Amino acid sequence: MINLQNVSKSYSHKIKVLRQVNLTIAPGEFVSIVGQSGAGKTTLVRLLIGEERADEGRVIIGDWDITKISRHEVPFLRRQIGVIFQDFKLLPKKTLEENIAFALQVSGGSQAKIKKIVPSVLKIVGLEDKGRRYPHEISGGEQQRAAIARALVHQPKILLADEPTGNLDAINANEIVDLLLRINKFGTTIILVTHNKEIVNRLNRRVISMDHGQITSDQAHGKYLL
Amino acid sequence: MLSFYRIIKFGLQDIARNAWLTVVTITILLLALFSINTLVTVRLISDNAVGAIKEKINISLYLKPDTIESEILALRDRLASSDKIKSVVYVSKQSALDNFREKYQNNQQILAALKELGRNPLSPSLTIIPEDFSQSNLLINELKMLDSPIIESRDFSDNTVILNRINSITKRVNEIGLFIIAIFIITSLLVVYNAIRVAIYTHRQEIEIMRLVGASNYFIYLPYLFSAFIYALLSVLIVIAVFYPLLSLLQPYLEVFFMGYNVNILSYFVDNFGLIFGAQFLVVLVINEVASLFAVRRYARV
Repeated sequence: MINLQNVSKSYSHKIKVLRQVNLTIAPGEFVSIVGQSGAGKTTLVRLLIGEERADEGRVIIGDWDITKISRHEVPFLRRQIGVIFQDFKLLPKKTLEENIAFALQVSGGSQAKIKKIVPSVLKIVGLEDKGRRYPHEISGGEQQRAAIARALVHQPKILLADEPTGNLDAINANEIVDLLLRINKFGTTIILVTHNKEIVNRLNRRVISMDHGQITSDQAHGKYLL
Repeated sequence: MLSFYRIIKFGLQDIARNAWLTVVTITILLLALFSINTLVTVRLISDNAVGAIKEKINISLYLKPDTIESEILALRDRLASSDKIKSVVYVSKQSALDNFREKYQNNQQILAALKELGRNPLSPSLTIIPEDFSQSNLLINELKMLDSPIIESRDFSDNTVILNRINSITKRVNEIGLFIIAIFIITSLLVVYNAIRVAIYTHRQEIEIMRLVGASNYFIYLPYLFSAFIYALLSVLIVIAVFYPLLSLLQPYLEVFFMGYNVNILSYFVDNFGLIFGAQFLVVLVINEVASLFAVRRYARV
């Protein structure tokens, strides 16, 4: 479970990007967070992965209060939370297999574990036959799927998707959302941060709307209201 | 063990991907090490030169030939009690004659003249070794004023001017050398810092992904510290490879210059290899690691 209690965050005295945010996300939920630029969505994501610290309030993930997390604990938090971004963040000089293996290598995964997990996550995202290709040899949608595969290597309980369809056409965007829905069915909590109205409306899942650092609506089966 | 292997692999990748930067960094470190070793060599040469000149400083009191030995020994003890004198050597008439014969053993004319004389013409003497060679002027002045009826003549062949000049040149060389070394150390710090900063910039995408997927902090920064270790190791190995042939070339010239003295800089460097180059490696390593740590903390945000 993710629980934010009266969380505020500002980058300067004048600009407060999050104001007294209270939010609870149950395990296995699929939640879309929508809002205009500057609404505080990305700051919320950064707080959840330990990239930023809340000025006030508490951020709790499971039984873990990450508000005052030490820098030594951050890597362990990141292994619990998979993250994907609009720009995929794949290494261009590594094949898809190598990109995914890299995530395991740098967190101390054994060769045996890498050999077992890399093909299985590639299969989950439907890229089992493209593991030896480089990112520039595949489409944007496939690159995002590879990024999702990499995010899954630690079998995270939470998958944070920050504008994952921002660089994709409608067909590829829908494929990515379908993939996220499939992953959600396995029990992984999905937090989708997006501007894409069609996707949010098609999902018909919980929608949290943000504006000026505050939650303005929280609907169990919501639509894109902004 | 697996992580250790991967850290080394990533560290070597850093070095290879920024090959020119590695060359520049190692060159600066080499210049710093070369200046240190040159300074050590200059110091050794000047120490040998000073030692050679000190041996030539001769302070002797020649005594009347008919002086009885107890009076000579009393004067010797009196002189030895001075805090400016390290020791006083008594050379008897017979010893002086023996030394003379040994010195001129190949000169038959002189030996024949001595034989012709039919007696020992040499005087007993007291040879005085100063406590501090740089203060030998004061001692000479004191000995000039020494009043004793048994003293026949005084010999103060004074090399203190040359000695002082060498001491002054050595001091100056050391000062300039230390200044140069300080500049090289500061330059090395900045160059290594910059090299690691550029390496981090080259790997910024990988570092971002490493942090994203939960790489341990040590896994992110250790490859850069390993690169710094390699810089230190390579620079010391290269300086060893360059310096020893240079010393071998210099050694014959030094032997000619210090003819009759045992001056062997090459063997000094060989005998003290561990101390000289081990210390240099440790100093360069500490400088590199400190610079790298600052660069990593600032630019890799670990």
